[in-house]
Amino acid sequence: MKNRCPVNDSVATLNRALDANALKIPRNRRVAAEILQLMQEIATGASGYRHIDAVSALSMELTATGEEKAAADLGRYMLTILADELESLHSHVKTHNCPTEECERLTPAPCQMACPAGIDVPTYISLIGLGRDAEAIEVIRKDNPFPWVCGLVCTRPCEFMCVRGRIDTPVSIKFLKAFASERALSERNYKNPEKAPAKSEKVCVVGAGPGGLSAAYYLALKGYTVRVIEALPVSGGMIMVGIPRYRLPREVIDREVAMIEELGVEFQYNTRFGTDVTFEQLQAEGFTAFCFAIGAHQAYKMRIPGEDDFPQVLDAIDLLKKVALGDRHVPGRQVIFIGGGNVAIDAARTCLRLGCEEVTIAYRRTRTEMPADAEEVEQAEEEGVRLSFLTIPVAIKGEAGHVVGLQCEKARMVKQAGSDRLSPRPIEGSDHFMPADVVISAIGQQVDHTGFKELEGLTWTRRQTLDVKMASMETSLAGVFAVGDAVTGPATVIEAIGGGKRAAASIDRYLSGLPQPQMPPVPVRRGRAEFMEVPASTKMILRRPEMPLLNLDRRRTTYQQVELGYPENAVREEARRCLRCDICRRCGVCVEVCRDKMKIDALHLGFLDFDHPVKTDFRLTEEACIACGACAENCPTGAMQIEEKNGERLLSLCGTILNRQKLVNCQTCGATIGSEKYLDYIRARVASQAPVSTGGPVCDKCARAGKRTRKLPVSNL
Amino acid sequence: MTFKRGQRIEVYRRSSDEQWEDYMDSFVGCHGIITDPDSTINDPDALVEVSLDGKGTHRLPQESMRLLDD
Repeated sequence: MKNRCPVNDSVATLNRALDANALKIPRNRRVAAEILQLMQEIATGASGYRHIDAVSALSMELTATGEEKAAADLGRYMLTILADELESLHSHVKTHNCPTEECERLTPAPCQMACPAGIDVPTYISLIGLGRDAEAIEVIRKDNPFPWVCGLVCTRPCEFMCVRGRIDTPVSIKFLKAFASERALSERNYKNPEKAPAKSEKVCVVGAGPGGLSAAYYLALKGYTVRVIEALPVSGGMIMVGIPRYRLPREVIDREVAMIEELGVEFQYNTRFGTDVTFEQLQAEGFTAFCFAIGAHQAYKMRIPGEDDFPQVLDAIDLLKKVALGDRHVPGRQVIFIGGGNVAIDAARTCLRLGCEEVTIAYRRTRTEMPADAEEVEQAEEEGVRLSFLTIPVAIKGEAGHVVGLQCEKARMVKQAGSDRLSPRPIEGSDHFMPADVVISAIGQQVDHTGFKELEGLTWTRRQTLDVKMASMETSLAGVFAVGDAVTGPATVIEAIGGGKRAAASIDRYLSGLPQPQMPPVPVRRGRAEFMEVPASTKMILRRPEMPLLNLDRRRTTYQQVELGYPENAVREEARRCLRCDICRRCGVCVEVCRDKMKIDALHLGFLDFDHPVKTDFRLTEEACIACGACAENCPTGAMQIEEKNGERLLSLCGTILNRQKLVNCQTCGATIGSEKYLDYIRARVASQAPVSTGGPVCDKCARAGKRTRKLPVSNL
Repeated sequence: MTFKRGQRIEVYRRSSDEQWEDYMDSFVGCHGIITDPDSTINDPDALVEVSLDGKGTHRLPQESMRLLDD
């Protein structure tokens, strides 16, 4: 088996040709870029069998060009790869296995892999650490057009997978992103990338939520004419009308949507699909591809008596929407919410700010089972929201057309037969009455199908969401794609953004006649930022900063942002905690070499193991390390480095200085021969074989020149 | 079984759920962390978001996963 991977090699060759602008004719550049995209998918296991055929057809197209020799050469090169290395290509496609393991080297860091949008986290965190906020935003926006929004409300799966969390706490990725976005915007350095030349096709995006807007952004960048139609009078979808302003100020959304508008995306508000405009009308206007991003805005019914009998029975998502659109009427004095999720918490905190005197959340299970984020629950309680656990609503009671309260039962948690899940069971005789003048349900939302019933051939799942292939976001209708909560049910902002980006790529393929990927793409590394030099002790001592919060009185009375953001010095310091897992793949070769080959065991890197991490302490390396450099020599990625600087030998792991030892020079010629510890190690290793010079240190050359017979030079292992 | 945010899991079997796609077969045996469970009603039938070590973040049926002991 050859040591070079033909897929990896061809990706590099194509990249080189495109980066060097070797192809001058735009059509040839486009074809080469399409081949590159297909080969990258083969390299990352995201391809199907038609990929090889498509690469072959595109390569022949390049070869056939008579106008440009470089393009024809590139086409012939690709055809040779296909002819000579077909077996290896099939291995990539069929088993997702690179026989040489070359392609594995492109594996992104766990935080980047965890991000549903695939943002290159280590690169932008490093840039923030270096004070290059605008560049950091540029990196983020390659995969996510909403860095500021996500900096404030992302559920941050990246932080759950952050390797630093195996040592102490994850890097505060989300808040660093918020800081960089705000700073870049404030300094007017938050800029759109350059658009591709205009294409003739028109794409319609239905819904201006994060998924739809992300699709619109990436389609506009690819040169398509994009129109977004939106039922509401504003952009943002759930992030605008479902997330309260004290968590996500409207200006943040407006500024980032304005960047999308700047690319030429047309917005048509107050337009409901299926009612105000039909599929056929849009097709007649020339739209050839569609992206449905209609969200999940319809609240579930509670199905208890009294629910439909009083105007004071509301649903939380509708309340949040009204408040977001400017309605500031107090819904009532005593409010009870039913449900224990994030929407219940958001709406309850909103009610406090509207002026409700007493806000209670009735939840049928215990605090442990409460699905809302623990931090949000904590903040709600601080502000005065009351929680009533093990409370099952039975009926809404009213008099003279007004709600007077909620009839409830107390519950206890019991295991049901055949299940290890605890379920609430009513306690007999525990009936009680909770007075209230408003009852608000917050038990979830579903997709509103209104307007889609006429669309024949569009299939739905049993969960009443749009049925798509997750790799490409294709629906059952050709040319129709779907993203966001309409596909996943109520989910996260970053998932919608990732879906929007995938849909844009798939729409581009659909309109270009290319095959669709068979599995979601592996994230793309956007750079390799330089290391930040950090002493081992600093790396261990730095702690994740606490987020400063607005004072409680303001939180109870205003919609001012509760989380005030980190100060700049905290941001720069926090970035230095990053372990740079984009470079260090945690293969453990350094530890094995040090422990098993050199018998030193100086590297205490317990974080390397995902399942069973043990103690890590970078400071301990200095105690035993002899600065031999064996770890750096064997590191496959350049994460572990040894260098000589200012008379010292420095060992570092992704910029973290693990050891620093003074170098010893040859007493005869002055040449550097290693550190004192290293020389001691050598003396001990060779002592049993031959006497070692007892004089001052001498290098090999001088030892030989001095004819010190039967005495080994200390610098020689 | 319902999962909570931050719990460590193993994808231990494929699911017969209609939203299980062929490419997800390669996730069987992978370990990961629940990043977005059903945050409204803890519905055991809901798809939940999970970050799998080396495989990215995906939304999977809960019946395909089991908790890992610490």
